[in-house]
Order: sequence, then C-alpha cells, then structure tokens
Amino acid sequence: MINERYRRQMLVSELGERGQDVLAGKHVLIIGGGGLGSHSASILVRMGVGRVDIIDDDVVELTNLHRTSIFSEEDVGRTKAYVLENYLKKINANVSVKGIHQQVTKDTIISLLNHVDLIVDGTDSLPLRYLINDAAVKLTVPWVYAGVQGTMGMVMGILPQKTPCLQCISQTIPEAGTSETPVLGNLPALIAAIQCTEALKLLLGQRPAGLILYDIWKQHFDILMVKKNPSCPCCKKHKFTYL
Amino acid sequence: MKITVRLYGRYKDIAGTDTVHLDIKKGDTLRDLVNAFVKRFPETEKDKNKIMVAKNKIFTGYETLVSEGDDITLTPPVVSGG
Repeated sequence: MINERYRRQMLVSELGERGQDVLAGKHVLIIGGGGLGSHSASILVRMGVGRVDIIDDDVVELTNLHRTSIFSEEDVGRTKAYVLENYLKKINANVSVKGIHQQVTKDTIISLLNHVDLIVDGTDSLPLRYLINDAAVKLTVPWVYAGVQGTMGMVMGILPQKTPCLQCISQTIPEAGTSETPVLGNLPALIAAIQCTEALKLLLGQRPAGLILYDIWKQHFDILMVKKNPSCPCCKKHKFTYL
Repeated sequence: MKITVRLYGRYKDIAGTDTVHLDIKKGDTLRDLVNAFVKRFPETEKDKNKIMVAKNKIFTGYETLVSEGDDITLTPPVVSGG
C-alpha cells in the first residue's frame, strides 16, 4: 500500500526506493505556517517524510489567503498550527503530523530541535531566521532558509560545518520595515517547492545547491555558489548572538 | 582600475546585462564599489546599505578592500517574507 502510494516518485532516480525509505525515517520541523511553511508542509507530507511538526503562534487571517492553497475563508480566526495539523493528517495517514501553537524564542528553540533531522524555514522575520541559524549551527541541524518578497524568492540549504550559514551571506540584519511585505500570491508555492527540493537533498545526505534566487515575474533563475565566510561570527567563531 | 562585477536577481534587469565594469582606486573598499554601482544605477538606491556583496564567492563586510582581479558579485538584499 505504502509502496503503491509512492510508486511514481520512487521511479525518480534521484530518490529511488532507498531514498523513499530514508525519508520515512526523518523528522522535519517547519517553523512558520504561512505562505511558505504551509506549502512546504503539504509537499513534505505528500512526499512521505516520516514525521512533520509545524510550529506557529498565529491565527489564520484573511490577508494570508492569497498566497496559500491550504487555508480557506472558514479558517480565518482559527489557530494556524491546528488547522494545518488537521489538513495534513488527511493528506497522508502514514506521516506523523503535529501542529504546535507556540512562539519560537531563544528559550524554546533548543528543546524544539530535539531529535529533529532538518528545519524548514517558513517564518517572515529575519531576526527569527538568525535565531534558527544560531541554533541550527550550534546543534549541527541542517536547515533550509527561504524568503519571498514582491516577485522575488531566495532559498539556501545550510549544512552546518560544511556549507555557508545565513550569517555568512548577510551579517547585518536590515532594519525591519514598518510596512507590510509585498508578496505576489503564486510566489510562495514555487519557492516552497524549491525549498523542499533542497530539504530532500539534505535529508538524503546530499549537499545543497547554493544561494538560489528566483524572480517569478521575470522568470529569472540564478544560483550563486558561495563559500563560508572565514570571519563569520556564527559558524566560524561560534558566537551565537541571537541564541 | 576597472573591476568586473557580476549581477544577480533584479540587478541584471536594471543594468540590462549580467556584468558591469566599475572604476575603483587603489585602497577602495566594497562600500566604495557599491556606492559606484548605486550612483550608476540610481534605481538601486533603496538597497544601498543592504546589497549583498561577495568577493571571490565570500559574502563579506563592506569595509573589505577590493583589488584588481577580484571576483565580485552583487545580489539584492536577503528577502524576508514568508
């Protein structure tokens, strides 16, 4: 039955039956259940990652609906983590799914990463991403950064000790804007798909592609091959400022 | 001296090319190079202090010196929405 479910996917040589078995034994934590996180959760559950936890402290808002294919109008006002849990459990009963209604802070992140194989970034905040980066590097947990803004998305898989971390590429956090981040509605689905590919590669023990940039309006795709910054405060000097 | 700079993301559209050549002097830093880029392409002014600059594939601080032959890339700032 399980093999039948994934039959077409296991025909993909990059994954195969062995890769499918590997995924079934993995535990992924998705931090943030908005446009990116909800799509990534749906993809990873459908593809057969063994355990998927999704954490978010917010409720579904009307302004979320344009960029997600999971929430509907009747979900407005409901807790995102629990709506997602219910939805994801219906997709694939073979996957252990847990929605966690909680804020991720420096006091909670270490315990949340207990036995986690990979973190998927679905947040909308750079300071939170830097906190994730610190924790991931400290505990050597791979993670996949992704962000969307306007028509532009960025993704970077991070394999601590092996590949550049988020602080390697951006050591200063741009000041938070006072206005809302513009996002074209179809962008998060695409960027989440790219993010999940990088997540799969990391779960299968492969290296990520680098810093990926995609402009959905121009249909421009770029990959930057970057190196670790030898003076990175996080992954080189192990100064975990945000933790 | 002229430095060849590779552009990524929307900077390619703004410049109309994926490579530009910028004039710098001995002792100039990446900040000087970014300033030269912004001056030439004023549409990038809002990114001025957030442009990601890599020298020889390493994203490094704006105070890093630039030398002839360095491989420089300019990338729009890290995007933050979710």
